[in-house]
Amino acid sequence: MHKRLKIKFLGSEIDSPIVLPAGVMDMSFSSLQDAIINGAGIVTSKSLTVQPRAGHEGPVVAEFEGGMLNAMGLCNPGIDDGLKEIEQFKTNFAAPVIVSIFATNVHDFMQLAKKVDHSSAEFLELNLSCPNVFDEFGIPLAASPQQVFEIIKAVKEMTSKPVIAKLSPNVHAIIPIAESAQKAGADALCLINTVGPGMLIDIRMRKPILKNKFGGMSGPCIKPIALKLIYEVHSKIGLPIIGTGGVQSGEDVIEMWMAGASLVGVGTAVHYNGMNIFTKIKQEIIQFLEDQNYHLLMDVPRLPSQVREK
Amino acid sequence: MIKRLTLKIARIETETKNVKTFHFSHKLEAEPGQFIMVTDYENGEKPFSLSICELDHFAITVKRIGDFTNQLFQKKCGDYLSIRGPYGSSFFVSKKKVLLVGGGCAVPTLYFLSKRLLSNNADVTLINGAKTKDELIFVDKFHSLFIQEYFVTDDGSFGEKATSVQKAEEILKTDNFSFVYASGPELMLFALKDKLKKINYEFLLERYMKCAIGVCGSCTIDPLGIRMCVEGPVLNREKIEKLTEFGHYHRDASGKRIGF
Ligand SMILES: Cc1cc2nc3c(=O)[nH]c(=O)nc-3n(C[C@H](O)[C@H](O)[C@H](O)COP(=O)(O)OP(=O)(O)OC[C@H]3O[C@@H](n4cnc5c(N)ncnc54)[C@H](O)[C@@H]3O)c2cc1C
Ligand SMILES: Cc1cc2nc3c(=O)[nH]c(=O)nc-3n(C[C@H](O)[C@H](O)[C@H](O)COP(=O)(O)O)c2cc1C
Repeated sequence: MHKRLKIKFLGSEIDSPIVLPAGVMDMSFSSLQDAIINGAGIVTSKSLTVQPRAGHEGPVVAEFEGGMLNAMGLCNPGIDDGLKEIEQFKTNFAAPVIVSIFATNVHDFMQLAKKVDHSSAEFLELNLSCPNVFDEFGIPLAASPQQVFEIIKAVKEMTSKPVIAKLSPNVHAIIPIAESAQKAGADALCLINTVGPGMLIDIRMRKPILKNKFGGMSGPCIKPIALKLIYEVHSKIGLPIIGTGGVQSGEDVIEMWMAGASLVGVGTAVHYNGMNIFTKIKQEIIQFLEDQNYHLLMDVPRLPSQVREK
Repeated sequence: MIKRLTLKIARIETETKNVKTFHFSHKLEAEPGQFIMVTDYENGEKPFSLSICELDHFAITVKRIGDFTNQLFQKKCGDYLSIRGPYGSSFFVSKKKVLLVGGGCAVPTLYFLSKRLLSNNADVTLINGAKTKDELIFVDKFHSLFIQEYFVTDDGSFGEKATSVQKAEEILKTDNFSFVYASGPELMLFALKDKLKKINYEFLLERYMKCAIGVCGSCTIDPLGIRMCVEGPVLNREKIEKLTEFGHYHRDASGKRIGF
């Protein structure tokens, strides 16, 4: 019945534009299944690493008026156990899966990519942009066009699956980075990872609320940043985009679409409403299509592109 | 909704050698079975069920088992703690004749539940079990409620020599209850489930919790994929019967499966 929301993405036809993004509610096969049951079109795994990671000590999240900070610290059971959850997901569900991987060097990225290549997942996403492991690993890889290029190039050699590069909003110019991703052979981009990082303080105890002190910002307050970056990148770079950042409603999805996103991630909003937020968002998209006399979501025109500079 | 409070510890009560109750003077709108996240911003942040929740104060009852709880045991009256919650699902508050089955340090949440049941005019029977006398908690507190109570210990050092599950099985044969509530170690709950063929029940299940607000996915339970920090920790019979994970494994901080 929601065929009106189908989207073509990297050669696959996907029933719903909604993506469960990396790191949100996706530790187990069963929560991935729950996301699909509730209306997501694609699900993403936690960012998997070579070895299991317990993540940071708590508090790992801190809410504020506009959203939340998180410093989960890339907790995940490691690539082998993580992929087992994906295989278990696939025994009952046909919906496409994106496996997100995280590493700090080309060698580990290649090793991880090879394992994902042998799995039943459809897509591979490179988390080049986690802002919460600075003490451990330094500046995110997505800050350097050169590193982005090297990693993607190396990973593309290890897998025939389409590769999505997840970029950071926390750079002063995103275009050179997106361009290098494209040149290296990335098939799509995911924009954006969390913003900042930011900080909150408990004024009675005079302590940062997050044990990690700093955490990536997500939720409604980052939507304008996501929209701007998606619009800019879509205007200048031809790659399909998974738009993620602060989406809570069907109208937010339309905004992301108009800015240039093909699919739309919904992360933090799951906290406010549970996974059935996806059902609500789909209904709201249909409502918009009805009101505005569009048959398909794909019929909704994008904003006119930004005029090329130079 | 942002639910963070910075509160001074109002009173610390020693229950047993390894169990203390921390009281806070604050009105918390909570239901029995719900939990709070507690941190001092130094030693992590951990979930604890509310053991007491009155008009002007609430408390948690903590067993010392590792780093976090060891540090908590060093705190004094007047020290600040940061608390968020209450979070999670709560027990249904019956008006009828009900049986409460508790094991070890998971018993105190049943005290908060008992108080609510009594104010709803329910007829309350409690089984309070532990390995040994020194580990039985809230004996005096339950005593002051004037409910029907049974104490059992695995070694017979206090009350009857039996497990909570054996005692429950015995009482259920002779007496008619309309509902069973239980909170305790998972294998106790798992064994109890088998004895509850016909009767409706709710159990409080613990899973590794991090965000407690339903985004991180650490505490989801198979195969339903529900979040134990939001849709749990109290689950009803219908949900528990569908769980393949219950009694078999849980996930650690990294999400790796660990067998019971
Ligand atoms: C909903 C819920 C209610 C709880 N209520 C109480 C209570 O009222 N009183 C009480 O004493 N304990 C309660 N616990 C357990 C309590 O959270 C753990 O005892 C505590 O986290 C141990 O921390 P530690 O650092 O001292 O020990 P560790 O050495 O870190 O851990 C010992 C064990 O505690 C459990 N644990 C550790 N961290 C967590 C976590 N973040 N979430 C869940 N379990 C964890 C694990 O099973 C672990 O093996 C509850 C747990 C849950 C999930
Ligand atoms: C608790 C939490 C954990 C996250 N973990 C990851 C992760 O492991 N890998 C990743 O690429 N992004 C991670 N993210 C970022 C999200 O995938 C998403 O890009 C971001 O939160 C913005 O979307 P939102 O506002 O809809 O949440 C995480 C976000 C949150 C809130």
